[in-house]
Amino acid sequence: MSDTLALLRFELAAARRGRAAPLFAIGFALAGIAIALVGLSAGGAVAVQGFARTSVSLLQLVVWIVPMLALLTGAIAGSECHELELLASLPVSRRGIIVTRWVAWTLTLGAALLVGLGAAGAVIAVLAGTANGWRYLRLIGVAEMVLAATLALGLSIGVSVRSRLKAVGLAVAVWFVLLVGVDLVAIGALSMLPAGRAGWWLSMLLMADPVDSARALGLSLFQTDIVAGPTGAALRQVLGGAGAWALAAALVAWTLVPLALAGRHFARSDM
Amino acid sequence: MIRLEEVYKSYGGRMALAPFSLDVAPGEVVALVGPNGAGKSTTLRVLAGAIRPSGGRAWIGGHDVVAETAAARRRLGYLPQRPGVPLSTVIGDIAELVARVRNVEWSEVAASLENAGLGDRLRSTLGELSGGQRQRVMLALATLGPITALLLDEPNISLDSDGSEEVRLAIRKARERGAAILFASHHLYDVAALADRISVMVEGVVVAQGALPLLAEVAGVPWNGGEAADPPIDRIYRTLVTRGRTAGKRRLSLVRGDAA
Repeated sequence: MSDTLALLRFELAAARRGRAAPLFAIGFALAGIAIALVGLSAGGAVAVQGFARTSVSLLQLVVWIVPMLALLTGAIAGSECHELELLASLPVSRRGIIVTRWVAWTLTLGAALLVGLGAAGAVIAVLAGTANGWRYLRLIGVAEMVLAATLALGLSIGVSVRSRLKAVGLAVAVWFVLLVGVDLVAIGALSMLPAGRAGWWLSMLLMADPVDSARALGLSLFQTDIVAGPTGAALRQVLGGAGAWALAAALVAWTLVPLALAGRHFARSDM
Repeated sequence: MIRLEEVYKSYGGRMALAPFSLDVAPGEVVALVGPNGAGKSTTLRVLAGAIRPSGGRAWIGGHDVVAETAAARRRLGYLPQRPGVPLSTVIGDIAELVARVRNVEWSEVAASLENAGLGDRLRSTLGELSGGQRQRVMLALATLGPITALLLDEPNISLDSDGSEEVRLAIRKARERGAAILFASHHLYDVAALADRISVMVEGVVVAQGALPLLAEVAGVPWNGGEAADPPIDRIYRTLVTRGRTAGKRRLSLVRGDAA
């Protein structure tokens, strides 16, 4: 255990020294503040947008940007695993190397996300008050969950593909499929399936995509099911109040399964 | 100790390492020599856990390198041909990791890096060092602490004459501390000066192995066994490698000096 902790310290130091985390934090802080302020000028209102509206606007940004950065980071970190011959000669299992990499990057980027959105939240709280602040906190929670899931997915891609260039290319393709491709399938399914069966299939499809899961989970937390789209409505129809839990469970599964696959693949492959 | 028992490695239909058996006792130094693609690195990488053998078994300190990975690597020092960590790695970070895993005090790490002439580069990344400096750092880390087995893959690579002397010193020190040492090298005079036994490999096959006088005899190279630092190792090496290459499929039946 102490060897794994030593490795985790090493991986954390490496992740912390990169440029990704500060850029991530600054980007989200600026985006959060900008969204709150842009709402002011567009609406012509005197007050800065509060947490409720800012959270809904930020959710869209979160489900676009966080998965992309996490997939890319994970893919690079995963492909790099095959260069870690020195680490592989230490008394740490290959699975341990994968898990510590994932933990280190999740903690580092997660902290950056917390700092970035937290800084924006502090500005909003000062200028617009703390009403609905819990919604903003839940948005951060959803962002952390989708970050963890897509990092694991990226790691799995990188470990399987080995070549950094191919891993990055595949990560971008997967990001596009998760963001748009699954929705296109949902629209197609909606037009083809009989009305009675569409709900169940669409609910499953929603959980088969971590980005859609995060989006629907975020929207359900804001009690704005009406804007959750056909899949969100179908989920509510099929699973009712348990829908949010099902989505959270889907995100956890989207974290654990790719991580397990990456560990298994890396444990069996030559460096 | 280090032990290989009929270990082989194949990639598809290509045999990178034909079945190879070897014992390296504590305090013994064995060298792997041969042209590029001979299987030297493959042997070391199997032992270090970087690649899995296709068959056979290998042990370090009595622990199976596949079944008991953590125990086998607990007291293993390894210098891979490439750094084995990303070039963006900070020297202090990797040194701290190795020190923690081997339960070594930081003062010992600092002294080791100081000896390598890099005590003031703890905050530098490996990518900021020259090839020779990088090799010195990795050698210092490989030999850090109470290791019982030491694997060195081309330890002289990128090093100047001072650096090569550091490698020789490190190997001698590790031997004095009772480590079993297996190293691959193209520097035949270092091999002659340091190794108790030598395995000559050609295209994945060990064509001869044993102490230098025995290899001289097998190669038919006259040598009175005098000054160990100046044996006709070039001729011995070339004769055995040429013989190994021309033997084709009969290579496995060549004389294996180890048995003598």
